[in-house]
Formats: sequence, structure tokens, C-alpha cells
Amino acid sequence: MSVLIECRGLTREYRKGGQVIRPLDGLDLAVPRGDFLALMGPSGSGKTTLLNLIAGIDSPTRGELIVDGADIGTLSRRRLAAWRARHVGYVFQLYNLVPVLTAYENVELPLLLHPLTRRQKHDRVVTALERVGIADRRGHFPSQLSGGQEQRVAIARAIVTDPAVIVADEPTGDLDKASARAVMELLRELNRESGKTVIMVTHDPKTTEYASRTLHLEEGRLAGGSAVGGVMA
Amino acid sequence: MNPVRAVPYVVKQVVRHRVRSGLTVGGIAIAMFLFTAVQAMNEGVTRVTAASANDTTLVVYREDRYCPATSRLPQDYQRRIESVEGVAGVTPMKIVVSNCRTSLDVVTFRGVPKSDFIAQRGGEIELVAGSLEDWQRRTDAALVGETLASRRGFRPGMTFNAAGITAYVAGVIRSDDPQDHNVAYTALPFVQLAGRDQLGVVTQFNVKVEDSSVLDRVAGDIDRVFANAQDPTATFSEKAFIGRVADDIIELVGFARWLGLGCLAAVLALVANSIVLSVQSRVSEHAVLRALGFSGGQVAGLIIAEGIVLSVVGGGVGGAAAVAVARYGNFAMSVEGISIPISARAGLLASGLVVCGGIGVLAGLVPAWQASRREIAACFRAA
Repeated sequence: MSVLIECRGLTREYRKGGQVIRPLDGLDLAVPRGDFLALMGPSGSGKTTLLNLIAGIDSPTRGELIVDGADIGTLSRRRLAAWRARHVGYVFQLYNLVPVLTAYENVELPLLLHPLTRRQKHDRVVTALERVGIADRRGHFPSQLSGGQEQRVAIARAIVTDPAVIVADEPTGDLDKASARAVMELLRELNRESGKTVIMVTHDPKTTEYASRTLHLEEGRLAGGSAVGGVMA
Repeated sequence: MNPVRAVPYVVKQVVRHRVRSGLTVGGIAIAMFLFTAVQAMNEGVTRVTAASANDTTLVVYREDRYCPATSRLPQDYQRRIESVEGVAGVTPMKIVVSNCRTSLDVVTFRGVPKSDFIAQRGGEIELVAGSLEDWQRRTDAALVGETLASRRGFRPGMTFNAAGITAYVAGVIRSDDPQDHNVAYTALPFVQLAGRDQLGVVTQFNVKVEDSSVLDRVAGDIDRVFANAQDPTATFSEKAFIGRVADDIIELVGFARWLGLGCLAAVLALVANSIVLSVQSRVSEHAVLRALGFSGGQVAGLIIAEGIVLSVVGGGVGGAAAVAVARYGNFAMSVEGISIPISARAGLLASGLVVCGGIGVLAGLVPAWQASRREIAACFRAA
């Protein structure tokens, strides 16, 4: 399998109260296309920072981050936004649906950025909603959905643009066991059947059973060294 | 992103935040109602006082007098005025008002020689109801301005009483001259007889000159003719005369312009407050939009568009209400027989909407810029 994501010496620093915080410190990592990678580690170990960098919603201080052939660390804010719209679907722990939009409208939201006809948009939204098994709730607002249903809508929103990478930040962190299992099965289906590369941050060891491999981060580095070109569990 | 694609999203944000949008739109509508009303008064003042190249009417008044009750000129001045070079016609006029104070509902009687009036003004006035023959035939007949007729419910065949005069409505007239909108034209002797010792006495002469270029020269010549008479005259162009008589109203309207600017400031504060609160409560929502691929500029555009929608909708509601009230209320500020219409035309509403759109942009600029510059990851950490 070809490498989809490659990090070399990836470092992220920011200043807080006069101190330099370094949540990610010279990380090397390669993620093959079609991988389902779980990131674990204690709070502050750099999991979410790494996820945000891969998703293009944060920029590295040093190092290289190449996703699908693009060195996204060098892109301007505007180009990075356009890149995110095409290549990444983000699933949040707290779903982050827009409360005044229905499930259908929430899923349709990313398509505003794509030059599609109304018919094409409709087909894509319906397909995404059906894919996550929530098409019958398309007219419901987030407040009328359960947590599990909201997360399904969020996953539909993440896949509606057909991105190469789905990043998920603790996607089951706010769900009961049954809903968590359903969401994880859905992510695994997307990985196995649709070939999506999934990178997931989790605190729950049970959810790592759905991933093809798990990496542990500690103090901004991979526990046990580099994971370039190999699988570390 | 094609901005048109974002319109439904913006409209949903406004419509579905009902309480926030309702309160903001309500506040803006009230402020814009006041602003448009002030502008309507202002427009009325401009309409009756702004001189133009087509002005050919002079008003001859008693020198040092400012109201119809005290301006008394001998009617026989008419012949001497007609002899001044450049004068095309003279209409002696006796004016009686139902209320000497500034009011929104004054009936002004203008007694005129009927045949002279028809000869000089016939082409400018349209009879919209009633009969001109009736007016010429009956001594107590009045031709009533359309605005006055509408406001008081006068119809041909009715009689009405104002200022102690009972008159018969022979017809309703329409004219472009605002001074015709709130008056009742009657026979000159009919109005003169309504007061004591008023036969042969008029309030003013309305003088038509042959050409607007000789307006000032003719005015000076008329005043020179009567300079040594027992009742000397002061002659002005009609619009300058109105400006002089209605000075208090014009000052008041001038002050009201500040009130109008205050209304605009209130709109700005309302929209800005609403947008700031909205942006503060939706930090994570805007971060999500950016995580989905919206650029900072696109998110800023959405925020500004919300400001524009709120202010234009509020401004539209308030402005339209003000225009409707001004148009169908047929209000005019009257003082000393002079009428200043509260004139709200569609252009006023359109300019109000443009102003509101500009305010919407201005109000949204700072919060939109702030939202566009926030670090996405930091927004999620804060949430």
C-alpha cells in the first residue's frame, strides 16, 4: 500500500504564559492509504495536536507533513482551507453539528464549497445519510436526535465530500456503549468497504479493536520510537 | 465559493434564531421608522423651499408681517402690480387658517378671484372629483386639495366648517404644488366677508412673472412701487417666502436630522451587538465551518451577510411602515397658511435600505475579522 500521510520531524510549539509548550516533538510517522490508525496516550501527549495537523486545521512549527502528496505545512491559510474541503472529513467528539440546521442541511454544509448542481448535492447528501443509516431522520434538528444519531450525522457530513482521510477525535467519547459500538462499526465499514483512511484519537482501549493498528504517544513522541514504514501496536 | 450558494445558510441562521433575530429586527425597525419619518419631513422641507430654475411665482406680503392674520394689503394694489414690467398675472389672495399654531391638521382657506384663478392656475390643477361649474356658480363653494379631502373625508356635495367658515365642497383638486394639497380655494369675497372690515383687503398677492430670470428684478420693482405707501410690501420668491414663514418648522426639522443620525447610530449598535453576541456564542460553530474547509474570509463573509440581512429586513419593515404612514396619513406640517408635506417617496425607502445594508457591513466587520483570524484548534480547546 502507498503512503498517504508522512510526518518527518513534526514539531508543534506554542507559547502559553511565557512558557513554550511543545505538544508534538519531532515526530516521524507514515500512514499507508486505507489504514485505520488509532492514536492513544495520556492527556497532553499530543494525540489531538497530531490529528489537527493531519486534518490541516493547525500548522506545524517545524518538520514536514505530506498528505496525499501535498506538503500541507507550507500551504497558505486559504489554500489549506481549500485543501481541507477536498481531502479531509473531521468527526468530533461532541459532534459539533450546527444546531439550527437539520440533519440533511448539516450534511449538505461542506458541499457549499463544491461546484455541484442542486441534484448532485441532493444525491450526495442522501447517499451519505443512507450510508450511516440515518436517512429517515434527515429532517430532524440535532436537538431532536440522540447522541449516537448526532454522531452518525457528523460522520455523514465527514464523508459527503468523499475525502481520502477521515480524522476522528474521540468519536465515542460522549456515547453510551451501544451507540459507541455502532459508530465504531460504521467507521470500520467506511475503512474496509469504502477504502477510507481513518485516523482516530481515543482513550478507550475497546475502540482500538476496530483499528488496524494502534500507536501510543507520550510527551509528543511515539512511545517506542518511529512508526515510519511499519505498524506499531 | 459562489456567494449565492451561501444565501440559504445565512437566511436559515437568521430565521431559526427567532428570538435574537426578532428582537434585533424589531429594534432596527423602530429606529428606521424614526429615521425614515425624519427624512420624510426633511424631504418635504426641501421640496417646498429649494429654489429651482423653473420658479416663476412671487409672493407679495405686507412688510414686517409674518402671518396671514396681520398681513393686510389693499386689494387695489393688484392693478399697480400688473403694471410692473415682467409680470404675467396677479392673483390677490385672502388667507384664513383654522389654526394659527403649527399643526398636522390645519384647514387653510384661500379666497381668490375665481376667473383669475382659473386663468392662471387652471393648467396646473387637475379636478379629480366634483364640478368646476359648481365652484364658479356657488358663492360658498370650495375646491379642496386632495390631501385635505382625504384626511378630513371631504367629498363633493358635502359642507364643512373650519375657522368659523362654512363651505360647500364643489370639487377635489390635485396639483404638484404642495401648497395646493391642504387648502380650500373659495371666492375671494366669501373669505373677506368672513372677517370684519375685510372687504377690499387681501393677505397677499401671488404674482406670476414671465420668466424665472426676472424673478428678483420684478420683486425689487414691486417693493419700490409701494415703498412709500401706507402698507409697504415685501416680495419674495414663493420658496423663499415659505422658508421665511416656516422658519420655526425648518429649524425643528434641521434639529430632527440629528435625531435621524441618532437612529442610525442605534441601528449600528443593535446590529453590532447582535452580531458580536452571535459570534461569541458560535465560536465552535465557526471553527467547525473552517474545519470543513471554509476559509477565514468565507466565514467572515457569512457573518457580515447575517448583519446585512438583519439590518436590511429591519430597515425594510421600519422604513416601509414610515412610508406607508406618511403616504396614507396625508400629514403636512402647517404654519401660518403654509403647508410642508411629510413626503415619503419610494426612493426614500430604497435609500434607507442601502444605508441599512452599509450599516450591516460596518456592524459585522470587526466580529467577522476576529472570527476569521481565530486559530481553529484553539477554538475547539476553548469549547
